[in-house]
Amino acid sequence: MAPVLSLRGIEKSYGAVAALKGIDLDIGRGEVLAICGDNGAGKSSLVRIISGAQEPSAGAITLDGKTVSFRSPQDALAKGIATIYQDLALAPRLSIVQNVFMGAELTRPLLPFVHILDKRRMEDLAKGYLGRLSVAVDDMHRPVERLSGGQRQAVAISRALHWDAQVVIMDEPTAALGVKETALVLDLIRKLNAEGRTVVLISHNMADVTAVATRVAILKSGRKVIDRPVAGLDADGLAHMVMTGKES
Amino acid sequence: MRSFLETYGTAVAGLALALFFVAFAPNFAAPTNLLNVLKETSFLAILAIGFTLALITSELDLSVAEVASLAAVVTGALIQAGQSPLLAVAAGLLVAFGAGLFNGIAVTRLKVPSLIATLGTAAIAKGFAFMITQGVAFVGRWPSEFTGIARGSMLGVPHLVIWLALVVGGALFLVKCTRTGVHMTATGEADEAARLAGIATGRMKRLGLALSGLLAGVTAVLLTASLSSAAPNMAGDYFLYAIAAVLLGMTMFEPGRANVPGTLVAALTLKVLGNGLVLMGAAYYVQDIVLGLIIIVSVALSATALKKAAFKL
Repeated sequence: MAPVLSLRGIEKSYGAVAALKGIDLDIGRGEVLAICGDNGAGKSSLVRIISGAQEPSAGAITLDGKTVSFRSPQDALAKGIATIYQDLALAPRLSIVQNVFMGAELTRPLLPFVHILDKRRMEDLAKGYLGRLSVAVDDMHRPVERLSGGQRQAVAISRALHWDAQVVIMDEPTAALGVKETALVLDLIRKLNAEGRTVVLISHNMADVTAVATRVAILKSGRKVIDRPVAGLDADGLAHMVMTGKES
Repeated sequence: MRSFLETYGTAVAGLALALFFVAFAPNFAAPTNLLNVLKETSFLAILAIGFTLALITSELDLSVAEVASLAAVVTGALIQAGQSPLLAVAAGLLVAFGAGLFNGIAVTRLKVPSLIATLGTAAIAKGFAFMITQGVAFVGRWPSEFTGIARGSMLGVPHLVIWLALVVGGALFLVKCTRTGVHMTATGEADEAARLAGIATGRMKRLGLALSGLLAGVTAVLLTASLSSAAPNMAGDYFLYAIAAVLLGMTMFEPGRANVPGTLVAALTLKVLGNGLVLMGAAYYVQDIVLGLIIIVSVALSATALKKAAFKL
């Protein structure tokens, strides 16, 4: 599988503390790659670098074979890499439509040089995005705070669909969700992947990883210690690898 | 029913209050009195809508009254000196807009909380206003081209009410129909989420505070033209009323959120209340007591945005 995103020799230091040490990682087009590791392993730093929230101290990133550097999340987004943060980065009191289109609202001309929001088109499109994820919400103007955790994830993923992101990074998407909502989110990841999008999943939940990921990269103390297909692994075996940093 | 009460309860209460005064306050329903209430509402509502625009971005502008007084003094000084009304008005608006922008820069670039930054600006504006006037109000027979801005009417509608309608319409259009308005709202609602979504949150905050300053300038020009005078503390009395209007407005239409229609109805309600109390013979201090109660009860009811803006020190 040709890598859509390649990281070579990525390092990140915070003062004297080295959070990432020479990470090489290929993310294949259309795969679901899980990045696992204990607290302090370097997952968050790696995600922040891929998503453009931070720049690496050293190393190179290539996207579709071209060297890139992301100076901000917007920079990464413009190149087709969207991140769904752990806290979802949603505005709770704003509506579903407002959240899906936040920062990328559609407008239509009213007068020469005067454009107004195209509310109907945004509502129709938002409905379509949620429909593609098989999530039905009757009122698209409902504030996000009145949605379930799974539905909120769907809103956040819809935003990635609107941006037509080819790589979607999901940071702990099932944290703090119940069993039913977790199943919904895992289903959303499968649907996203079925559309041909690459998903990078950061998770502490090994059952989630074995349920949806095709490959897993395990970090330990800032280094990538394991990179292998998920097939044949169960949650317990994976948890053991995360703890020991060794293949069982 | 509960949802209706949450959304429209305060507006209905305001209407009930007006009907109460119609029934029991002598001359309240007289056309001239109602027109006066409407004119008085214009000054307050325009000032409070500026405050609302800043609060939509989750920033407080406690300098609105002092900035309005400074803008009034600048405008009045130029009119008194025989300068053209156009120049005087432009100077007043520019000073107020500049003060608002200064607030915005202090908040977004210097990272001073708006509660502190705008209090500082208020003190500076007050100082400059007294410096320009040396403590004495400008009063005179000013040209009708200037006073006509606020006095007179068009097709029976007072100019002040037309200005109010333009400001309300413009603010509503900005907030509800434009990307900029939506970005201001997103900034106020979830600063970090908006930033991650690519919204220039600092710019939105500067815009909110600059518009607040500009509308303080508009209020100043209208007050000065209406009264043919400019004093260094002439808008001071509007300070608490403007805050009360915004807070009371946050209890209706979009509960918990600063909103333009809410501020407008609240400003009208406050002016109706003040007028009605006077006509019923209430002592002058009753208004202040009622105003204080309205501020506290409004915040307790739903003004979460204000709490957020005030306590992010």
